[in-house]
Amino acid sequence: MFRRGQRLLSLVAAGVAGLALLAGCGGGSSASGTTLTMWTFKEPHVKALQDAAAAFKATTGITVNITAYTPDDTFTSKVQSAAATHSLPDVMEVHAAGEDFTFGAAGLLTDLSSDIDASWKSRFLNGTADAGLVTPQIYQQSLDPKSTHLGIKTGQLLSIPFTAGTFGVIYANKAKLRAAGLDPNAIPKTWEDLLSWFKATTAKDPTGGGVNLGLSSSSTGLDWLMEPLAYSALGQAKYEALFGKDPAQNWGSANGQHVLDLYNEITPYWSPGAQTLSIDNADLGFAQGKSAFDVGGTFTMSSLQQDGMDPNNIVAFGLPPAANGAVGSAFKLAPIALTGLAITTQTKNSSAALQWLNYLTTEQVAGKFAQTAFDLPGTNLGANASKDVGPYLSSLESVFGTGDTAFNPTQNAFQSPQWDIQKAGDIVIKMSPLKQASSAAVNSQLSAYNLDSWK
Amino acid sequence: MAAHVLRPPALRRRRRRREALTGYAFVAPALVLFAVMGLYTIGYGLALSFARWNGFTPTWSWVGFGNYLDLLYRDPVYAPLVRGAALNTLAVMIAVPLLIVLISFPLAYTLNRIRLLRTTFRTIFFLPFVTAGIAVFYAWTYVLEPNGSLNFILRHLGLGTLSQPQGFLGNPSTALPTLIVVMAWGAIPVGIVLYLTGLQAIDGTVLDAAQIDGAGSFRTMTAIIWPLLRPITAAVVMLNVRDALQSFQVFLIMTNGGPGTDTTVLGLESYKLAFAGNLGQTLGLASALGWILFVVALLLAAVNLRLLRSRA
Repeated sequence: MFRRGQRLLSLVAAGVAGLALLAGCGGGSSASGTTLTMWTFKEPHVKALQDAAAAFKATTGITVNITAYTPDDTFTSKVQSAAATHSLPDVMEVHAAGEDFTFGAAGLLTDLSSDIDASWKSRFLNGTADAGLVTPQIYQQSLDPKSTHLGIKTGQLLSIPFTAGTFGVIYANKAKLRAAGLDPNAIPKTWEDLLSWFKATTAKDPTGGGVNLGLSSSSTGLDWLMEPLAYSALGQAKYEALFGKDPAQNWGSANGQHVLDLYNEITPYWSPGAQTLSIDNADLGFAQGKSAFDVGGTFTMSSLQQDGMDPNNIVAFGLPPAANGAVGSAFKLAPIALTGLAITTQTKNSSAALQWLNYLTTEQVAGKFAQTAFDLPGTNLGANASKDVGPYLSSLESVFGTGDTAFNPTQNAFQSPQWDIQKAGDIVIKMSPLKQASSAAVNSQLSAYNLDSWK
Repeated sequence: MAAHVLRPPALRRRRRRREALTGYAFVAPALVLFAVMGLYTIGYGLALSFARWNGFTPTWSWVGFGNYLDLLYRDPVYAPLVRGAALNTLAVMIAVPLLIVLISFPLAYTLNRIRLLRTTFRTIFFLPFVTAGIAVFYAWTYVLEPNGSLNFILRHLGLGTLSQPQGFLGNPSTALPTLIVVMAWGAIPVGIVLYLTGLQAIDGTVLDAAQIDGAGSFRTMTAIIWPLLRPITAAVVMLNVRDALQSFQVFLIMTNGGPGTDTTVLGLESYKLAFAGNLGQTLGLASALGWILFVVALLLAAVNLRLLRSRA
């Protein structure tokens, strides 16, 4: 009886030891043979990520399977259902400084603050390393019961930068510029100069000489064009006051009216049907020659390349400031982390996942990613930048700036936590391009919406 | 026969129990499926309509009837959106069934009378129903865009004033009517089939009697055929009213509710609240809107039943 018990004990001990060994293989430092899954919402990133995964496997033995779920709402619903069924991937590419906080607040993302040290952070472009960090200010905003970030904690680092860039980049078709008698090398210095370009190309080609922007999502008009324009016209303090509670300075005031009047000047130059275009279709239309201009971000270059447009036929530049504006010619666009890399809390391979993040954000791998995906990485490529990302992407870096004269769309602590740019966009689109409402009426409606959002 | 009558009650009971068990066994898979896929989701959806949730957090915040009140009048952002969407939905609910009846009844009447090429015409008229779907909605958007084939045809027919420089879906005043036409185009074939069924069920002697009494074609149609087909008309109208109330695919694919919010309908608004709300805690609002739609559909079904019964 005793011997039988001993045998049973030995069997259990052997089983436990075996399981421990297996567990060690999965989550320990020796991760060779491990398979990771990674989800992204950016189709143009898939090939570049797969190339990086192949090289990563050759180095570490870890397999990474990449899957894209696109467009954004598909990605969101996929994450929702996977979160409920505990089938999240190990790693996700997420919208930085927004989606990462929402997912983190729900407990879906691992806090990376103890894993990402100062030396790792120093790899990233200036001002982007802490895009996924929950600051005391972000935490305070999250305490609103309706906040999508309710649940985050100060000090959590929920993602690290993967791609960086900015909105408010104007892409122009060189051939169409020349046909309209414009010099593609003489980049417009002011908003008014840019309008004169729009006017010239539209006059030359009324159906194919206008401006494309994915206005079927009405927030893009605000996000990518009106807000940076407002910042250049009013300066930081007055721009932020637009979203505040002071009726002398917020939407509804003369400042709001001035901004809307400026933005409304673009109305005659929208491409026919721009209000029906998705962002992807706006890019596609521009690539197909249906418009002379396309408003986007630094990331738009990758879409245009995927759509088959010759990069030699594109001139890209940042949105120029309003003439006589508060910021003046020093106006620039601040580089921000656009997407981030995050590790989910459902991973069983956190060590391997961290290795993958480390690998992706090294200078060499990030450079190769940029070349393949035609997108700017969050990793600072230093002196090799122009060589690594090529002449077209490196030219986009000239739009970047820092400090008070640079518009940073991620700095929105001055807005109500309830401010929804989509709702505001639905109001503004009635003025431009739909011409259903005057700028004064839209100013009044924005005022009402802004005040309601503070209640 | 006598053996059956003389069978002991215990044996009969056992046999009856076995039969009942066999019946239950056959019904069980469907019952289980309905319990899991139907009752569970219905209960889940109803509970969600009383909560605030974004689909990610492990817990819900209970708000009672707050979501319903927000949608109906309380929230300054959502209530106006719902009101606008309700008006658009109402327009669709009236215009689509009306168009379908106005087009499918004469077509069915004509198809029922002709002999030559009847099958060919039936096939042609039924094609939109066979082909309708996401791919066709995309095809329609290409037809209706600023440089699409419809504008091209209009300009080349000398009807340039009817063309839409912003596209038929880009102009706020033409977008909703255009979508109504597309919806009707997809549903007319079913209307034709239903009317054809009704027409073929009319007793020929009634029509012969009308003819003998001197009724012409028009008089026969308006005084005899149309009244006899009222139940069919009620069915066509109610089917399409329900469809107009709840379906949103055509709006999602062709306009996404735009330009602006000019073609947003309640079904689409519910979808947007659930999946395109910038990760906001609006799943409860989406569910509440779904339940409001359910109640309206239920009322319409009751009206439908009442109409059909009164005609019967």
